[in-house]
Amino acid sequence: MMGAAVATMRRNLLLVPAIAVLGGLFLVPLVWFLVVSFYRVSLFQLVHEPNLSNYARIWSDYLGPIGYTAGISALIAVVTTLLAFVVAHLIWSRGDRWGNFLLGATLLTLFGGYLVKIYAWRTLLGREGIVNNTLVGLHLTDNPIDALLYSPLAVVLVLVSYLLPFAILPVYGALRPIDPTSLEAARDLGASPWGVLRDAVLPRIVPALLTAFALSFLVSAGDYVTPRMVGGTRTQMMGNFIESQFGLRMNMPLGAAMTFSTLLTSIAVIAAAWIGMRTFLRAK
Amino acid sequence: MKQHVARNLGLVVGILTVVFMTAPLVLVVLFSFNDSVVMTFPIKGLTFDWYRALLSRDDFWGALRNSVIVTLAVGAGSTVIGTLAAMVIVRMRPRVSALAMSLFGLPMMMPPLVLALALLTLFSALGVRLSLMTVVLAHLTFTMPFVILIVTARLRDFDTAMLDSARDLGASPWTAFRSVTFPIIRPTLFGAGLIAMALSLDDFIITFFMLGGGNTLPTLVWGMLRTGVDPSINALGALILLATLGTSALALRITGYRG
Repeated sequence: MMGAAVATMRRNLLLVPAIAVLGGLFLVPLVWFLVVSFYRVSLFQLVHEPNLSNYARIWSDYLGPIGYTAGISALIAVVTTLLAFVVAHLIWSRGDRWGNFLLGATLLTLFGGYLVKIYAWRTLLGREGIVNNTLVGLHLTDNPIDALLYSPLAVVLVLVSYLLPFAILPVYGALRPIDPTSLEAARDLGASPWGVLRDAVLPRIVPALLTAFALSFLVSAGDYVTPRMVGGTRTQMMGNFIESQFGLRMNMPLGAAMTFSTLLTSIAVIAAAWIGMRTFLRAK
Repeated sequence: MKQHVARNLGLVVGILTVVFMTAPLVLVVLFSFNDSVVMTFPIKGLTFDWYRALLSRDDFWGALRNSVIVTLAVGAGSTVIGTLAAMVIVRMRPRVSALAMSLFGLPMMMPPLVLALALLTLFSALGVRLSLMTVVLAHLTFTMPFVILIVTARLRDFDTAMLDSARDLGASPWTAFRSVTFPIIRPTLFGAGLIAMALSLDDFIITFFMLGGGNTLPTLVWGMLRTGVDPSINALGALILLATLGTSALALRITGYRG
């Protein structure tokens, strides 16, 4: 017995490096970051006196930007999750060469280069870009539309396009174990295609849909590169405000407080999405 | 009739979505060979000028060197540490291992900006100098969960009877691992490492805050993006794409990972 216990203990030692990475490079920095959010800065030095002034400032000055960020991120997350479901369902239900082709395209875009994609969208949506040239060429508009680029719409387009492969894979992963022939039985017994989808498919993939939603929402809410590169000066998301506290303004405590306020809001939105999905995507 | 409409609508929306998702990458590759600064159709002629312009930049070679160092270090570190953890996690009772998996998975769900700023704040409090080393350490946090996920899934299918018989025949745990487990899971480890490398190579946000000076390939792209229209970005983008697609396609083929 002693030997077995010692062996288990020795085996658990293998976890030590991973715990060191998770603890030392993730949990401890996060906790310290939370502590710093209660400090303040004076003459570029941290003042170690806990107070709520940063949060008070966010409450009075930044509720608007937080709401705006949550709104635009929720829009991106909803659109991404819906489209991801359509593509994942297509891959799953087809299962033939078409399905494999779509799955391959999804996997290949997964690691396609974040900044490069943003650059490509800039050239696509710009005044001289392909979208405007096509619109003018087809005489759909007389002059190029400037608002395609440097607008909230551009931020939504770019982020949805970037996030789709990350959302498709978990949803497809959840659909894959469902046997299409078991659903044919329901169809044979007279269930409508929509009925099968609602009662037999959607309730089984709620966790994957939530993963897709949460991932899309969190990445959007924490992004500052996309709004800066394609959003124009009017699209200021929380990521931009947070990032500027670590660049020009050098106010780490305020930046930390902004981060945790945004994270808390994100958790609330994701919890609401979870409750919503559990309520509406349930077998009747 | 109505069923057909719904089915075809799904097909059309799905295909349009995939086009929308892949179009930027296709265009980057296409226009990297375009014989004009303006990026519009029709493409008039083909050229390698943008590649030549890119390769003649001094900062390109420094960035490439740094990216190679970071990517290899993250790939190796993440694979070793993640695999050791996975070997313990598969032996845990179901509830404990589920808890461990979600704990180790946390960094995957965190926006990169938060990971970067939390580490930056801690490093500046501790007086740690930023360097390629801090980039590598930061990259371990979000690549390790993928390795743990992939290797744990492989080890769960693993027939432990072989391992037990090796141990019964007197092999030490290390010998049993080296001669039984490792040869079988080697392709998975290789694939997991390549995925970690692809993720590391593509990261801009964390690298930007963790890198004291110099450039990696993504921060070089960032610098070029801010100077305006420069088709060399397309050439660099196409090269990064080739590298990441190459490694990840290889990884997916090796691991047989499908979603």
